[in-house]
Order: sequence, then C-alpha cells, then structure tokens
Amino acid sequence: MRETRLWSLHILVIPVIAVLLGMHFAVQHYAPVFYGMSVEKARDFATMIERGKSTAQFVVYILLLAAGLYHGLYGTRGIIRELPLSPALAKVVDWGILTVGVLIFALGTYVTWWTFVHPGV
Amino acid sequence: MANKPTAYNNRLGLKGWVYAGNYTFERYLYIGHRLSGLGLIAYMVLHIIETANRMRGEEAWAALMGLFASPVFKIVEYLLFAAAVFHAMNGVRLLLVELGFFLGKPQEPIFPYKSSVMKHRPLTYIIMLLAGLLMALGGSSLFFK
Repeated sequence: MRETRLWSLHILVIPVIAVLLGMHFAVQHYAPVFYGMSVEKARDFATMIERGKSTAQFVVYILLLAAGLYHGLYGTRGIIRELPLSPALAKVVDWGILTVGVLIFALGTYVTWWTFVHPGV
Repeated sequence: MANKPTAYNNRLGLKGWVYAGNYTFERYLYIGHRLSGLGLIAYMVLHIIETANRMRGEEAWAALMGLFASPVFKIVEYLLFAAAVFHAMNGVRLLLVELGFFLGKPQEPIFPYKSSVMKHRPLTYIIMLLAGLLMALGGSSLFFK
C-alpha cells in the first residue's frame, strides 16, 4: 500500500511539473519569445532579484522544487532498486535518496527565500 | 520456519536495463526515458546548487551567467531542453498505456496472437513526431533569434 501511494504521488506531480516547468522555461529560456526580453536581461542579477520578490514566483518555485525533486528522486530510486540488492542495502538506498532530496530541497528553499527577502539592487 | 527475506533475483542485472529483447522500438524509448530522466534529475540537483551562487553577489552571478552564454553551454542547454521534451512526451505515452488507453480490447489469447503493443504503435509514432517537432521549434527559438 505504501509503495502504491508513493507511485501515485510520482504520477500525480506530473501535471504540476509540466505547468510549472513550462513557466520556468518561458521566463528563463524563452524570454525573447514570451516576454520580448533578451535571455541575458532575463538572467541579469537585478532582474532575477526583482522577479524573486514576487509571492507568486516564490510559491511556484517551492512547488516546482518539491514536485521535481520527488518525481526525479523517486524515479532514480526505482531504477536502483531494480538491481539485485539485499533488503538492508535497499534500505540504505531509500534513506540515501531521501537525505539527498531533503538537503537539496532545503538548499533550494533557502536560496528562494533569500531572493524573496533580498532588499533589492 | 519463516523464510528470511533474500535479495531480489534480478537474473539480468544491469543488462536488464538495456537489453531490448523482442520489444524493439518501445524498449528503446524505455531506455531513452530512463537515461533522460537520470540526466534531468542530475541536472536539477546541479542547477539548484549552481543558482545558490547568487548569494555570493552580483559579480559572482554575472561571471556564472557569462560562462553559460558560451556556445558550449548553449548546446548543453538545448540538449537538456530536448531531454525534457522527450521525457515529457514519452511520459504522456506511458501514462496512457498505464491507464489502459490505445491498447485495444482484451481478447482471448488465440493464435495468431494480437499484440497490444502493435495497436499502440501508431500513437507512439505520433507522439514521437510531436516530440521531434517541439525539439526543432525549441532549437529554432534558442539558437536563431
């Protein structure tokens, strides 16, 4: 049952990733197409800090971070767990992946928060 | 006596990740899906670490962005985009299969057998053509401004 829940969540986050990653691509990689702004300008420090102050952007990035990391790390876990691992080693893989996920999520959240509360350029 | 849990007997081991057997096209999509997925999660982790560089200030950020503006990184950026498109489009196909769409109705297994894979194949081609189109469009926006 636990595995079914984890798998279902892996599937359920797909639409979240599709929408939010699409927005991220539009802002960061296709700014000339969607915003009439050069990629260089879109990635400029001042522009990035200004954009990061928006509450909507803050929420979008935290959600994308959580959804993307969960989907990707759950998939990685599935691939590794297909190897002939002993139950003890499988547990090490689970905990290792969970630790990496929590650490990277904490770092991403901190950077997003840092940008959100930055006094500006 | 209760059976002690033993290691999962994956007869093919690592070879099982890439061995296509008789499944041909869909099996190669499966391999591509895994490779692109692993590449994307590796990039995502690196990307989060790399964007933390902003906390070192404007100059450090500008230097990093200058590096990413080089032609090599443009190509890397495009490969990532292509991997994301492929992974997403093939993921849509896998979801449809998982939910039982485009597989035909269940039938008695009477010779000559009909394969649900073959019933699904036209959709596979359409989705992959769409993925190719998106990759081409994405490349044209990224490289030709």
